[in-house]
Amino acid sequence: MEHIRTTKVEQVKLLDRFSTSNKSLTGTLYLTATHLLFIDSHQKETWILHHHIALVEKLALTTSGCPLVIQCKNFRIVHFIVPRERDCHDIYNSLLQLSKQAKYEDLYAFSYNPKQNDMERLQGWQLIDLAEEYKRMGVPNSNWQLSDGNREYKICETYPRELYVPRIASKPIIVGSSKFRSKGRFPVLSYYHQNKELNAMANRAAGKGYENEDNYSNIRFQFVGIENIHVMRSSLQKLLEVNGTKGLSVSDFYSGLESSGWLRHIKAVMDAAIFLAKAIMVENASVLVHCSDGWDRTSQVCSLGSLLLDSYYRTIKGFMVLIEKDWISFGHKFSERCGHLDGDPKEVSPVFTQFLECVWHLTEQFPQDFEFNEAFLLQIHEHIHSCQFGNFLGNCQKEREELKLKEKTYSLWPFLLDDQKKYLNPLYSSKSPKFAVLEPNTVSFNFKFWRNMYHQFDRTLHPRQSVFNIIMNMNEQNKQLEKDIKDLESKIKQRKNKQTDGILTKELLHSVHPESPTLKTSLCFKEQTLLPVNHALRTIEGSNPADNRYSEYAEEFSKSEPGVVSLECGVARMTC
Amino acid sequence: MLGKGVVGGGGGTKAPKPSFVSYVRPEEIHTNEKEVTEKEVTLHLLPGEQLLCEASTVLKYVQEDSCQRGIYGKLVCTDFKIAFLGDDESALDNDETQFKNKVIGENDITLHCVDQIYGVFDEKKKPLFGQLKKYPEKLIIHCKDLRVFHFGLRYTKEEEVKRIVSGIIHHTQAPKLLKRLFLFSYASAAQNNTATDPKNHTVMFDTLKDWCWELERTKGNVKYKAVSVNEGYKASDRLPAYFVVPTPLPEEDVRCFQGRGIPIWCWSCHNGCALLKMSALPKEQDDGLLQIQKSFLDGIYKTVHRPPYEIVKTEDLSSNFLSLQDIQTAYSKFKQLFLIDNSTEFWDTDIKWFSLLESSSWLDIIRRCLKKAIEITECLEAQNMNVLLLEENASDLCCLLSSLVQVMMDPHCRTRVGFQSLVQKEWIMGGHCFLDRCNHLRQSDKEEVPVFLLFLDCVWQLAHQHPPAFDFTETYLTVLSDSLYIPIFSTFFFNSPHQKDTNMHQRQLSLPLTQSKSSPKRGFFREETDHLIKNLLGKRISKLINSSDELQDNFREFYESWHSKPTDYHGLLLPHIEGPEIKVWAQRYLRWIPEAQILGGGRVATMSKLLEMMEEVEHLQEKIDERHHSQGALPAEAPSLLRSSARLSSLFPFALLQRHSSKPVLPTSGWKALGDEEDLAKREDEFVDLGDV
Repeated sequence: MEHIRTTKVEQVKLLDRFSTSNKSLTGTLYLTATHLLFIDSHQKETWILHHHIALVEKLALTTSGCPLVIQCKNFRIVHFIVPRERDCHDIYNSLLQLSKQAKYEDLYAFSYNPKQNDMERLQGWQLIDLAEEYKRMGVPNSNWQLSDGNREYKICETYPRELYVPRIASKPIIVGSSKFRSKGRFPVLSYYHQNKELNAMANRAAGKGYENEDNYSNIRFQFVGIENIHVMRSSLQKLLEVNGTKGLSVSDFYSGLESSGWLRHIKAVMDAAIFLAKAIMVENASVLVHCSDGWDRTSQVCSLGSLLLDSYYRTIKGFMVLIEKDWISFGHKFSERCGHLDGDPKEVSPVFTQFLECVWHLTEQFPQDFEFNEAFLLQIHEHIHSCQFGNFLGNCQKEREELKLKEKTYSLWPFLLDDQKKYLNPLYSSKSPKFAVLEPNTVSFNFKFWRNMYHQFDRTLHPRQSVFNIIMNMNEQNKQLEKDIKDLESKIKQRKNKQTDGILTKELLHSVHPESPTLKTSLCFKEQTLLPVNHALRTIEGSNPADNRYSEYAEEFSKSEPGVVSLECGVARMTC
Repeated sequence: MLGKGVVGGGGGTKAPKPSFVSYVRPEEIHTNEKEVTEKEVTLHLLPGEQLLCEASTVLKYVQEDSCQRGIYGKLVCTDFKIAFLGDDESALDNDETQFKNKVIGENDITLHCVDQIYGVFDEKKKPLFGQLKKYPEKLIIHCKDLRVFHFGLRYTKEEEVKRIVSGIIHHTQAPKLLKRLFLFSYASAAQNNTATDPKNHTVMFDTLKDWCWELERTKGNVKYKAVSVNEGYKASDRLPAYFVVPTPLPEEDVRCFQGRGIPIWCWSCHNGCALLKMSALPKEQDDGLLQIQKSFLDGIYKTVHRPPYEIVKTEDLSSNFLSLQDIQTAYSKFKQLFLIDNSTEFWDTDIKWFSLLESSSWLDIIRRCLKKAIEITECLEAQNMNVLLLEENASDLCCLLSSLVQVMMDPHCRTRVGFQSLVQKEWIMGGHCFLDRCNHLRQSDKEEVPVFLLFLDCVWQLAHQHPPAFDFTETYLTVLSDSLYIPIFSTFFFNSPHQKDTNMHQRQLSLPLTQSKSSPKRGFFREETDHLIKNLLGKRISKLINSSDELQDNFREFYESWHSKPTDYHGLLLPHIEGPEIKVWAQRYLRWIPEAQILGGGRVATMSKLLEMMEEVEHLQEKIDERHHSQGALPAEAPSLLRSSARLSSLFPFALLQRHSSKPVLPTSGWKALGDEEDLAKREDEFVDLGDV
C-alpha cells in the first residue's frame, strides 16, 4: 500500500474522552489497508474503518507524546497519544490519504468479499424489488400508470427508469412539466395510499424556490420551514460539540441543546410528515411535496409520511423497501451527502441521519409499532458511510448502473435480513391493523438527545441495563417454558400409551428443568447493549470487524456471571 | 401546496372548507337555547365532610379546546375540597373507579392542593386574594399537582358568585389553625372505618422496638443504641420519642440543648460506617454560653472520634450546599412550565422549552443533590468513614440526603415497604416540617419549599435510570407526591412527631396545651448558625474535610469505577449525573397537558407489554407446576389484565384519553377518521386497571 509508511506503533495511549479522571489505555496501533486497529494491553481491539474517518487532527506536542484525534462519521471520536512525533506524522498522513478516496473503484465495496458466488450476490440484489412494492401499493390502476418516458434517463437523469404518473398525464405533458423543474425532476408518484374507499396519494416533485399558487386551482399551499443542508450540517456540529464536553452540566446541556437547534429541525421534519399524513388520511387529499431539488427534504418528508401511514414500512423488510424507494431510487445523493469520495465538503450533510433520528423518535413514542429496534437503525447508519456494500454508493440510479455495482459489489439488505434476530423489537405487536396510522406528538419535551447514536461508542455514558433487555430475556423464558410444556405433554402421552396407570415417574419429573437456568438468572443479566449479546454478533463482516461496543460487555459479562456466559462471549473475534 | 381540495386521483370530491367562524360565545349559544341542561350529579361527601357553599350554572371549560367549549354544572366548596359537579363525559364514575391510583375525583381539588387562584375581569387575569370588591367572570385555579381549572361564572347568579368565590378564597388562602384541618374531622368521623391493613409492614419508628429492629437489620447495634430519653418529648419537641445515638453517649447530653448538638444515627453501612445527623446549637453571643457550647461539643466529638468509631467526615449542609431558597426559586420557575392556561400559551412556551427548562435550574438542583449523595456514599462505602450531616434543624436537606443515600446503598429501601419505612424514619420522625414546607396552614409563603418533592424527583431519576432495582414504579412516586395535599392521611400534615402526638391524641395526653410549645418559626433565610459550630470545632473539622481536589478525585474514581462494572440491583446503586441524564419527570409534571400526550404510545405501551409478558410467564410456570403435581384439569385461564389492552395514551393512568387540540401550522381537523371507527369507539371506554403500575 503506497500510502502506508508505518504499519505498527507501540506504546500508544488511547484516552477515554468522557472520563473526568483522564483514564487511558496503552496498546499498539496497527494500520491495515482498510482499517486502523488498536489493541490494548487487555487484548481488547478497536477497529476503525478508513472510510468512517471524517477528520484527522494532529494536536500540539505534549510531554507524553503527540496527540492524534480521529473523528468518525459514525460519531466515534478517538484520542490517541503517539509517543514519537514521526510515527504520529506518518500515521496522520496515511490516514489523510486512506480516508479520502478520489475514485469509486477504490472504495471498500469493490474489494469486499463475503465469499459468495455470483448467483448469491445477484439474488441479494433482487431481494428488494420496487416493482413489487408499487404493486403492493396498488398501482398501476385506473388513475396511475407506469411511464416509459424516463426509460433511458432522457427526461430526468436523477430519477429511476420506472416512474408512475397520472394516467391523464401524456408524455408531452410530462416532458413539458419537467422543463419547469430543477434537473427535470417532474412530479411522480411516491406513495399511493389504499384504505377502504380512500384514494389518496403523495407525490414528489421538485422545483426551485416557491411554487406560484396562482398556477393551480383547488389547492392549498402549505409552507413547511425545514432548513437547508448547510444549516443542518452546522446544527449537528454544534450539538455534538456541546455534548462532547466532559462532565456536562444540566444547564450547559439544555442551553446547548436549544442553541444548536438540532431538535427543532427534527421537529420541523416530523411536523411536515404529520401534516402530510393528516392531509391524506383525514382530508382525503393528494399531496405534492417539493423542496429545491427534491432529494433531501422531500425524501425525508415523503418517507416519514409513508412510515406514519403504512405499517408495512415499520417492518424490517418494509423499512428497507422504503429506503430503497424514497432515498436510493429517487436520487438522494448519498455519496455527496456522506462524503464517500474526496469532494466538496459543502455537499456533506446529515440528511439521512436526520431521517433515521426521526424514525428513532417514532420508535421511542410508539414502542409497540415497529418490528425493528434501535440497533437496526444504527447498523444502517453505519453502512451508509462504510462503503462496504454497494447500495449507497453513487448519487443516483444512473450513476450506480454505470458503476456496475450489482456486478461488482454486494447489497447490504440480505446480510441484515439474515441477521434479523438481532434487530427485532421485542415489544412489537404485529396484530395492529395495516393502516394503524401513527400520531406522533411533537411537543418539545418528546424530542430527546439520541445518545445511542451520537455517543454509541462512549460506553461509559450508557446505562447498563434496560427494559429492552428484560423483555428479550422474558421472551426467551417464555419460549423455554412453552417448550417444556410441549415436552411434558408428549411425555405424558407416551407414558399413557405404555402404562395405563398415570403415575408420573421420577424420571419424568426430572426430565424438565424444574427451574430453567434462564429463570434463575432473570435479573442477573447485567448488560445494556446496543445490539443484544445473546446471538453471534456481527455475522456480517461489519465495517469494524471487532466492534468493542458489544464484545466488551460480553467479556465483562463472562467474568462476573459465569452462569450466563452461554451468551456467546468473545464473539467479536469470530469475524476477524 | 398541501392539503384539502386538490382533485385526488380517485377521491374526486372536494371536502368543504371550514369557513365559518363563530362570534358567539359558547355560553351564549346555550343560553339562547334557554335550557341549560345541568345533569344532577350527587356530591359525595366523606365522613365528617361538610358542604360550605355552592353555585350553580358554572361553566367548566374544557381547557384543551380552542373554541372554549365547556360543561355546565355546580361548583361546590366543602371543608375538604372544591368540587365541580357536572355531566362531564371525561369523568365517568365507572371508569374512574378503575384507576386505583386515583385518590380523589377528576373534578375534585382538595383545599390544600390549591396553589394560586386567578380571576378574569374584562379578559384580564389577576391573582385573587383577600376581600374582593369586584367579582370575576371567570375563575382560574392552579393546583399544586399542576392541574389547571377554568370556571366561567358569567351565568351564575350574582349572590352565588360572591359566595362561592369568597368561600373558595377564604378556605384556601386564609391562615388556618392546625386544629381546623379536615384530617381531624375525618379521623373522628371515620375512626371505625380506618382498619389498618395487617399486611402492611411499614415500620413507623414510633416505638423503641422499631428502632432496635432497624439497628439489628443494619447491624448498627454494635456501636449504637436506641434511647428513650425523649419519651413524652421531655427533652426535645423536635426529636422523636425514640431514636438512636452512639452507645457511649450519656443520655443526659440529649437534654442539655434540647437534642441539638447530638449526633443522631440514621443508618449503618455493611462495613460498620454510619450516617449520622446533627442539628446546630442555638446561636449565642455571650462568651460564657459559647464556652459551655464548646466544651459540650468537644465532649461529643471525643466520644465519636474514638475507636471503635470510624473517622467522621462532617457535611455542613447549611453553608456548602443548596439553600432552601434556591430550591424554592427554582421550583416556582419550573412549575410555571406546566401550569398552562391555554393551548396558545403552551405552544408559545414550547418553542423555548429547553432554555426555559435550563433557566429554572430545577434539574440542576436535582443533579447537585444526587452528586452530594454520591459523595456521601463514597465516604461511607469506599473510605470507611462515618458521615455526619449538619444542618440548622437537621430536618430539611438532612432528610433529603440521608434518605437518598439509603435508597442508593440499601436495597431494602427500594422495596415499597422499605421505602415507606424510610420516609417514616427520616422524614416523619426526622421532623421535616411538612406543615410549613407545604404551607398547609397558609401561614407563610416564604416557608413553602418543595423539599420532599425534590427528594421524590431524585428517587425518580434513580428509578428511571435503573427500573429493575426498584420494587415500585413512577406511578407510586407520583401518587405519593399527590398525597401530600390530601388531608385524609395524617402522615404529611405535621411539623414533628411531637406536634402530631399532641394533636392527634389530645385527650389521652394530659399535658396542658400551654406547655407544648408551638413549633418555633425557623427562618431559613437568616444567617445560619453553623458558623458557630465550625468555629468551635475549628481545627478538627478542617482536618477532616478533605481538600476539595482530593475529594473530587476520589469521587470521580468511585463514580467511574461503579459505572464501568455490571450493576447489582440488590446492591449499591448510583445514578448517572451527566447533564443529559437528568430528565423531566414527565408523569408528575406533564400528565394533565393534553398537548403532550402520545396516543397509543409512550412508556405505558412498553409497560403494558412487559406486564403482559410477565403474566404469560407466570401462567406458563403455573401450567408446568400443574403438570408436576399432576392435579388433573388445568384451571381456566386467568383473565389477563392487558390482553384486551386498547391503545392507551401516554397520559395513562392519570388523565383520561383526550383528543388532540389544534396546533399551529398544522390543520385543525382532528384525527378522528383514523383507524377503524368501531375500534375508536371501543378505545374510549376501555380502560385497563394498571393501578399498581
